[in-house]
Amino acid sequence: MLQIEHLTKYYGKFPALQDLNLEIGDRQLHGFVGPNGAGKTTTMRILATLMAPTSGTASVDGVNVVKNAHEARKLIGYMPDFFGTYDNMKCSEYLDFYGRCYRIGAKERARMTAQLLELVQLEDKAEEYVDSLSRGMKQRLCLARSLIHDPKLLILDEPASGMDPRARADMKGILRTLREMGKSVLISSHILPELSEMCDSLTILDHGHLVFSGSVENLSDMMNGNAPLDIRLAEGSGETAVEQAVTCLKELPCVTEILQEEPLLLRVRVDGGEDVCSAVLREMMVRGLPVCDFHRAPMNLEKVFMEVTQDA
Amino acid sequence: MLNPILSFSARRRMRSFRTMLIAAGYTLVLLLLAFFMMQSLMGSYVSIAAANAGVNAYAVLIVAQFALLVLIAPAMTSGAIAGERERRTLELLLVTNTRSFRIVAGKTLESFALLCLLIVCGLPVMCLTMLAGVSLFQILLGEAFLLAVAFAAACVGTLASALSRSTVLAAVLSYLMILAIGVLTAMPMILGYPQRITDVVYDTARYAELTPGGALKMISPVLLMNPGFALVALIQEETRVLNSYMEYREWGRILATWRMMDRAGCGTVALVSSGLIAASGFVLMCVSTLLVRPGKKHRKSGRK
Repeated sequence: MLQIEHLTKYYGKFPALQDLNLEIGDRQLHGFVGPNGAGKTTTMRILATLMAPTSGTASVDGVNVVKNAHEARKLIGYMPDFFGTYDNMKCSEYLDFYGRCYRIGAKERARMTAQLLELVQLEDKAEEYVDSLSRGMKQRLCLARSLIHDPKLLILDEPASGMDPRARADMKGILRTLREMGKSVLISSHILPELSEMCDSLTILDHGHLVFSGSVENLSDMMNGNAPLDIRLAEGSGETAVEQAVTCLKELPCVTEILQEEPLLLRVRVDGGEDVCSAVLREMMVRGLPVCDFHRAPMNLEKVFMEVTQDA
Repeated sequence: MLNPILSFSARRRMRSFRTMLIAAGYTLVLLLLAFFMMQSLMGSYVSIAAANAGVNAYAVLIVAQFALLVLIAPAMTSGAIAGERERRTLELLLVTNTRSFRIVAGKTLESFALLCLLIVCGLPVMCLTMLAGVSLFQILLGEAFLLAVAFAAACVGTLASALSRSTVLAAVLSYLMILAIGVLTAMPMILGYPQRITDVVYDTARYAELTPGGALKMISPVLLMNPGFALVALIQEETRVLNSYMEYREWGRILATWRMMDRAGCGTVALVSSGLIAASGFVLMCVSTLLVRPGKKHRKSGRK
């Protein structure tokens, strides 16, 4: 559905996005994660035909968004991270207006307006003024607006920002429905756990670079493989035992970092997989160190995000 | 399909209480002016002086409407594009299948439609001057001039709006642009361009041979784009108010331009001038289109 090839964008001399390659299949909910300034919005604005890239290209369902923007707009629904609503305008009129902008016929517009208001659970607000809606409702109305021309790809820039937990849950439900309807969705956020709950795959950007792209499971597996080791010494071990353990670890070439988290807990980074971990444990046992607990530190997605983006 | 931007914006505008207030205020000002100017016509008999007062009322009403339109238009049009930027709805329009020209045209025509509404509100008041002998043609000529000025003012307002980040800035910029256009288009008369006109005007034989078409060609097209010049032509056509100054040779080039205008036919000059004013407005609208395109973003709506 979406193919991005070597997409690069410079603002003057500042590289906002560098050589991004990405592919999203049909009916996929793809998360786009990164800290502020990572290049998420830049990428989305390029895909929404609002901005030309410095180099590279992107295509939606085979239509080049750079060279054939007018055609690409028919395939793309874009929802930015702001409402963009008018006062003095009813919800149904708001959707009808955008339907006319997409040159949809009157009957089709009326049908789509009713259908979309039902989808975003605003059917009872059709005749109410937009400025009387709550933030969550406005957000859902904007989502309906981006769907008025029945696009194949939805680009949602932080759609759940500023929403309460209830409104977030509603939004997630709507996005799942959209996937069932056959839409591909590219959704951005700077909160990884939020996206991991609903997305099939993820892309993590940092400082304009792609640092990860794949499924949520892949990301967890990858990070768990690199997670630091937590080594706890037995209660009653003196400072001498801790010093001996640190000395022992320092002598091992695979150990890259040692932190004393607690008096008897050492957090150790090793360069290697399971075999290296067992070698570390074996060496400590041989030296008679009182190790009572030895395991990989548990990683949640928040930590994964911090790990992935810290070195980019 | 009717331009969706035009119908949507017009609907929103007409729901605003301010629009009704402006239309009512505009009509009230014209009614009061007409009342004071034409009071003498309300007596039991009509004198020549009273009839003259009625004709003068036409001039006053045209000038008043011109001034009101020039004052109101920037305030009305400044939000056309800048307002969309402030609400951040411009990007949402740009990602639809509506091209930039349709967006700008819709916004300009919506502002123009409001100004047309004001002109239509003033039309019955203008028609009162027919009681004093002003012809229907003259009324229609005046309305055509006002429509041209309204369209051009809407286009200037839209251009200022397309150039600005905020509505207030756009309003200030459009007042300045209108002032600059007024001064710049009057330059041919002030800076001595019509020297060749002076030569003809003060040569009795050549002036006598001059046809209205020839006289029209001798007036600078830039000067014809000056709304003030068109206004003077319009008033002169009806009131002949400049006739008493026609022999003041010390006025030199300015007087010569007026005499050339008189020779070309003031009505014709006003009509041609109105056409040129509207055409130049259209050009400004096209320029605005270049400023309202995807990728042409203002700092406020730029990257995060």
